[in-house]
Amino acid sequence: MNAKRLTSIALLSAAALIVFVIEAQIPTLVPIPGVKLGLANVITLVSMYILSRCDTFYILLIRIILGSILSGQIMSFFYSLAGGLLCFLVMSLLFCILTKKQVWVISIAGAIAHNAGQLTVAAFVLNSTQIFVYAPYLLLSGIITGTFTGLCAQLLVHRFSRE
Amino acid sequence: MRLSGKTCVLIIAFLVIVSVFSMLWISAAQSSGGHIAVIYLKGQEQQRIDLQSVTASYTIDVGDGNTVLVEHGQISMCSADCPDKLCVNQGAISTAVFPIVCLPNEVMICIESNDSEAPDAIVR
Repeated sequence: MNAKRLTSIALLSAAALIVFVIEAQIPTLVPIPGVKLGLANVITLVSMYILSRCDTFYILLIRIILGSILSGQIMSFFYSLAGGLLCFLVMSLLFCILTKKQVWVISIAGAIAHNAGQLTVAAFVLNSTQIFVYAPYLLLSGIITGTFTGLCAQLLVHRFSRE
Repeated sequence: MRLSGKTCVLIIAFLVIVSVFSMLWISAAQSSGGHIAVIYLKGQEQQRIDLQSVTASYTIDVGDGNTVLVEHGQISMCSADCPDKLCVNQGAISTAVFPIVCLPNEVMICIESNDSEAPDAIVR
């Protein structure tokens, strides 16, 4: 691992963590567990384009581990990990088949996958299937927040590729 | 394989329609009542309360940081030590549709229509 790659990973991890911590301060609008903006996903998407998918995986893991330490909750680590890994899996598959103009589509799919992963972990943790009543709400919120973060990421990817 | 922009928009529009319809379906099911509140902690049933027989409201502590307010016909989480306070903000529930969930503390309150062990009806 050379110095440039290491620095890029560290820099983007720091950026993702800052975004994550700032987002945690924004109060939630709807009383549904799991609904959030997911701004840190912008960094994940951008690093997928300007670095590689392998490096993005490192950034994601660093952000999830340090993020749950900073937020001070052990349980949120498992929710984030399940959501984050599923989101990464779906996004890296779609990364191969979609173009740079369709970053928002990757983001929506990632947001839906993230919510699905979290919901599944919640069902296991709470040992109940009744929580799946939130699935359509999380699907819709994933589409809305995914579009927003995806358009942000698309803008950034275009700025970076122009240089 | 390449997906065109139009295909993506169609898929997403389909998902939006599916989610909106299932939301409507869920809220239509809201009328099916129930009055047995069940409190779960870490997947284990803690307490079963008949909300119809509650006359004076009282609170119970669940686990380490959650306090549940039990009233006639409804139940709510009145305090929690988790940072997001989603369960507190959800307010009181009186129907079986949305359970109150506190994910960080693994507490769940749901309302069940009747005693699940008892049969609905016995035909002789």
